[in-house]
Amino acid sequence: MSRRRSALVGAAVAGVLSFALLTPGSGTAVAQTADSAPVRASAPAKDGFRTTKSIDRTFVNDAQGTPVTRGSYDLTVSADHTTDLRGRERVKVSWTGAPPSGGRASNPFGENGMWQEYPVVVMQCRGTDNPSLPAAQRLRPETCWTSTYGQRSQIAESPNNALWTADRYATAADKEQLSGVDKLPADACKNAVQDGLLTHLTPFVTAAGKTYYACDASSMPPEAAVGAAFPPSEIAAFSDGDGNGSVDFEVRSSTENESLGCKRGVACSIVVIPIAGLSCGAPADGTLGPLDRACRKFGAFESGTSNFARDGVDAAVAPSLWWSPSNWRNRVSIPISFGLPPGACDVLDPRAPVGFSGSELMAQAALQWAPAYCLNKKRFKFQLNQMPDQTGWNLMQTGESPAAFVSAPHEATGPDPVGYAPTAVTGFSIGYVVDRPDNAGEATNLRLNARLIAKLLSQSYPGSSLGTGHEGLAENPWSIQADPEFIKLNPGLSRRATEAGATLLSLSNSSDIIGQLTEYLAQDADARAFLAGKADPWGMKVNPSYKGISIPTAEWPLLDTFEPKTQEPCRIANPGVYLSQIAAPVTTLRKVADALIDSWPNVQTRCEGDLTSPSGWKVGRVERQSYGARFLLGIVSLGDADRYGLRSAALRTSGGSYVAPSSASLAKAIGVARQKKGDKLGPFAMSQKTLVAAKGAYPGTQVVYTVARTHGMDKADARTVGAFIRIATSEGQRIGRGNGELPEGYLPLRKTGATAALWRAAQDAATAIEAQKAAGTKGPGGGSDKAPDPSSGSPGDTPPAADPAKGGPAAPPSPAADEVVTAETEAASSTTALSMLPALLVIGLVAAIASLVTRLGATWRRRS
Amino acid sequence: MSTPVVEETGRRRRTPPPPPPPKESGLVVSSALTVIALVCLWLVVHLLVLGTLSHDRAQSLLRGELRQQLAAATAPVGPTIEPGDPVAFVDIPALDVDEVVVEGTAAGDLFAGPGHRRDTVLPGQVGSSTVYGRSTTYGAPFRHLADLGVGDVVKVTMAQGEITFHVISVRRDGDRLPQPAAAGAARLTLVTAAGKGRFGDLMPGGTVYVDAEAAQGFPSPGGYSPVVPESEEAMKSGTEALPLLTLWLALLIVLVVATILARQRWTRGQVWVVAVAPLLAMSWLVTDTAMRLLPNLI
Repeated sequence: MSRRRSALVGAAVAGVLSFALLTPGSGTAVAQTADSAPVRASAPAKDGFRTTKSIDRTFVNDAQGTPVTRGSYDLTVSADHTTDLRGRERVKVSWTGAPPSGGRASNPFGENGMWQEYPVVVMQCRGTDNPSLPAAQRLRPETCWTSTYGQRSQIAESPNNALWTADRYATAADKEQLSGVDKLPADACKNAVQDGLLTHLTPFVTAAGKTYYACDASSMPPEAAVGAAFPPSEIAAFSDGDGNGSVDFEVRSSTENESLGCKRGVACSIVVIPIAGLSCGAPADGTLGPLDRACRKFGAFESGTSNFARDGVDAAVAPSLWWSPSNWRNRVSIPISFGLPPGACDVLDPRAPVGFSGSELMAQAALQWAPAYCLNKKRFKFQLNQMPDQTGWNLMQTGESPAAFVSAPHEATGPDPVGYAPTAVTGFSIGYVVDRPDNAGEATNLRLNARLIAKLLSQSYPGSSLGTGHEGLAENPWSIQADPEFIKLNPGLSRRATEAGATLLSLSNSSDIIGQLTEYLAQDADARAFLAGKADPWGMKVNPSYKGISIPTAEWPLLDTFEPKTQEPCRIANPGVYLSQIAAPVTTLRKVADALIDSWPNVQTRCEGDLTSPSGWKVGRVERQSYGARFLLGIVSLGDADRYGLRSAALRTSGGSYVAPSSASLAKAIGVARQKKGDKLGPFAMSQKTLVAAKGAYPGTQVVYTVARTHGMDKADARTVGAFIRIATSEGQRIGRGNGELPEGYLPLRKTGATAALWRAAQDAATAIEAQKAAGTKGPGGGSDKAPDPSSGSPGDTPPAADPAKGGPAAPPSPAADEVVTAETEAASSTTALSMLPALLVIGLVAAIASLVTRLGATWRRRS
Repeated sequence: MSTPVVEETGRRRRTPPPPPPPKESGLVVSSALTVIALVCLWLVVHLLVLGTLSHDRAQSLLRGELRQQLAAATAPVGPTIEPGDPVAFVDIPALDVDEVVVEGTAAGDLFAGPGHRRDTVLPGQVGSSTVYGRSTTYGAPFRHLADLGVGDVVKVTMAQGEITFHVISVRRDGDRLPQPAAAGAARLTLVTAAGKGRFGDLMPGGTVYVDAEAAQGFPSPGGYSPVVPESEEAMKSGTEALPLLTLWLALLIVLVVATILARQRWTRGQVWVVAVAPLLAMSWLVTDTAMRLLPNLI
């Protein structure tokens, strides 16, 4: 399940990545020559959304009911993709013509965004805005998700503050003491009804039909609990002085939010409500009272200002009354549809899956491909079993997995020859979330070179004053933000050092991605020299623990052992390797993507009091970074980056140019890939030297191969793998968001163009795998012999069969040819067990007899 | 005159009664030897007779519990099961063995019946499963295990169904392990202590392994612990019971002292009636706890 999920995320990240790449202005200008099917350009045009709506704010001041228009806007809202969405995918929603915002919050999500003026509220609601639908399928404020009750209800307000009762479009029912619900259950919401105070509730109705009254934290759906798994995604976003704005809105599927319940087959919408100010009705008694004056306010903040202190705002132009009729009628709703959930195949198809083991780079593709197999009874049930590339390769070689996905050449670990079928062109990137200072929004382009990555990976930034005690790091900048080299490349960012800025969230296990990244470092003279111990031009030196580390390597080790000396009682009670706590690598790219989506560093240096633990202290992960001061870097797959709207850094290549991932830069990279002459089934060599030398080629490009044995495989398995390769390289290369299509973040393999050689190699490999005619080198354990199942290992006293390669020739009696020589039984023995019973018996009897004798003797002596 | 009487009765509790009988070293030695003999023979009786009683009782209870769980489909399938819970029926018609297997192989777990080693799959699941049983004490369910021959049937009933194993080898020290199992096969290894020679039954110093295999096992949930504590390995004993033993021994001593004191105030008959049951129960408890310090397979 989690593998599936991470696959999804992976694909999503890749999609977002390619998006970021193709956006003009990201990375260098090099990448924008796009001739080969731009991944992004086609998709939004097909399933995007755009509409224009006129909205206005009117006051009725006299009893005659003449409206006076006090503001009118032509709002145009667009979204880049709206169909086949997956959980946590981000949709770019942008608008023009909204009122300029003021009193901007540092964190506009959830209830933190309530203290703003003239924002644009973007939220996810169940249902669509189609008058022809039955009421149950239409969206209402009651089906719109907010993560706190305060965002949807006004509890016990004084009559002068109950602005919704002054709304021009309010009905008589809205002006009652309790509005929004007809009747409250007797046992709930005691706080909502108080004498002389007015309350408006916007209950939440779940997909299952249950109503939550939203009058306090306990009457909200479970997903809205304090400290819920996912942070709020609804946002009160900011429009600039011209009324333009955009957000990357994260949609939630029923997997993340069951109460909201958006999934395939359930129509949902992203609702955009521009807050233009309440339209106010005629005063009750003809003269403007305090309530009417409050309703007619135009805001306390200038447009473009910030309100970090959460000073009071004019409620008439604040987002908290988004449900009030005059705001609600201004909404634009963007219908969205969801794709199949990650586990759909397990539910819909009872057949046993054919597991392809290996690379997580395939995760997002596998998510969309799997239903195209499992829902077609003529095909098999495809399943990606994500694991480190080398592990997948080994399983394929021993025959435990019919095929594997790898993204680099691997050395044979078994007797049978292997065919490489290129299946996808994708790669990795350095994803980032970086905010520009002074609430100026996110940085949209970040440049990194090999030496900066080497500094991050080698833990050469001390992170904080704790790390400066480390030998050799005292003079280094505390984190990359403070590194002059980084500042020169990326001017205009905050220079305040953070622990999260001292590391690049990476993988802890072996991976072809790490292999390729470290090869990128190895080809760069500066990075090599830095790791060898030479200071950079600004005097920064490598962490001595990593000095002289051998690269490339498929697995990046944690070598530092420094424990800071400090007086902090918490750290004294919980000593730890400080720089490793900062690095804290994870096991899957999906976890990195999640960290970036949530802007929650995986830095484990938080140390605080905990009265429930025996020591009184605990260590753990630091807090989520606050909006506006985010800085986080991590290795993500292109599939994940595109799916989740993560931005990717541009990497330095030859001639001082910086290349970000895009279809064009991936295609350029594929252009230098060459197959070894005479090895039609072999991998394509794509060394970092040639990649960096080629103009405009992205160094993180990787070809994912389906690898399978070309000899010794079961006939049926061989046909299955062959069929998979043929389907994957034809139907599976259509770009799209639906089942069986190739998600964004992947460069399609085509018969013609840059990827033609790869496509032909895939067909050759499929033929060879189906034929199983290659000359196998029959050796011990080869052919049909199955290696002993590691999971069935016996306990210590009956060791499993010895490894044939080890025990074979040396073992004395040579058994039949196809038998393995097994070890000898080493039976457990115990002298206690051997001697206890006899000893007890003998001692007991002897003592009994002796006692009898002595007693008799004593009696006899006494008598005499 | 009245004062001394009060004094007398007040003191009686603390100081031993009248002068002890004239010192007779022979009688002291004899008493000591009697005690030693009693302790040793009590242990033997407990291991061979009383232990069987408690084993039979435990089996009868476990049988009901497991039957009910099987009927309700709540019987455990692994990987983490509370030690001591019933996990399967093992039926070996050739030996007339029909036992409930419990989870865990520590000496204390094997009091109740054969135990499933916790780092292996459950009997009947794909992979290698190991079941330990006692050969001499506490009902000795696996007393005649070594008499099994190749081809004999071992039937296992567990949460996932019934499965029939056939014995493929009986191994002692130095014999080769069986060939690795084919894919999908379930392997069951029964282990018990065994002795050699005429007094082999009383002197089980070694171990015997019986491997049985079924071609098609039930799927295993995986996730079994890679190791078990040393006290759960074959022929091993643990010291975990020591603190408890100390406590029980202290209680036993208190009980004995109380009995002696009571004897000075009450009649022999009264003391018998009151003290015999607690003393027996306490001795039983102490012995059971002490037995947990002995190797688990005997």
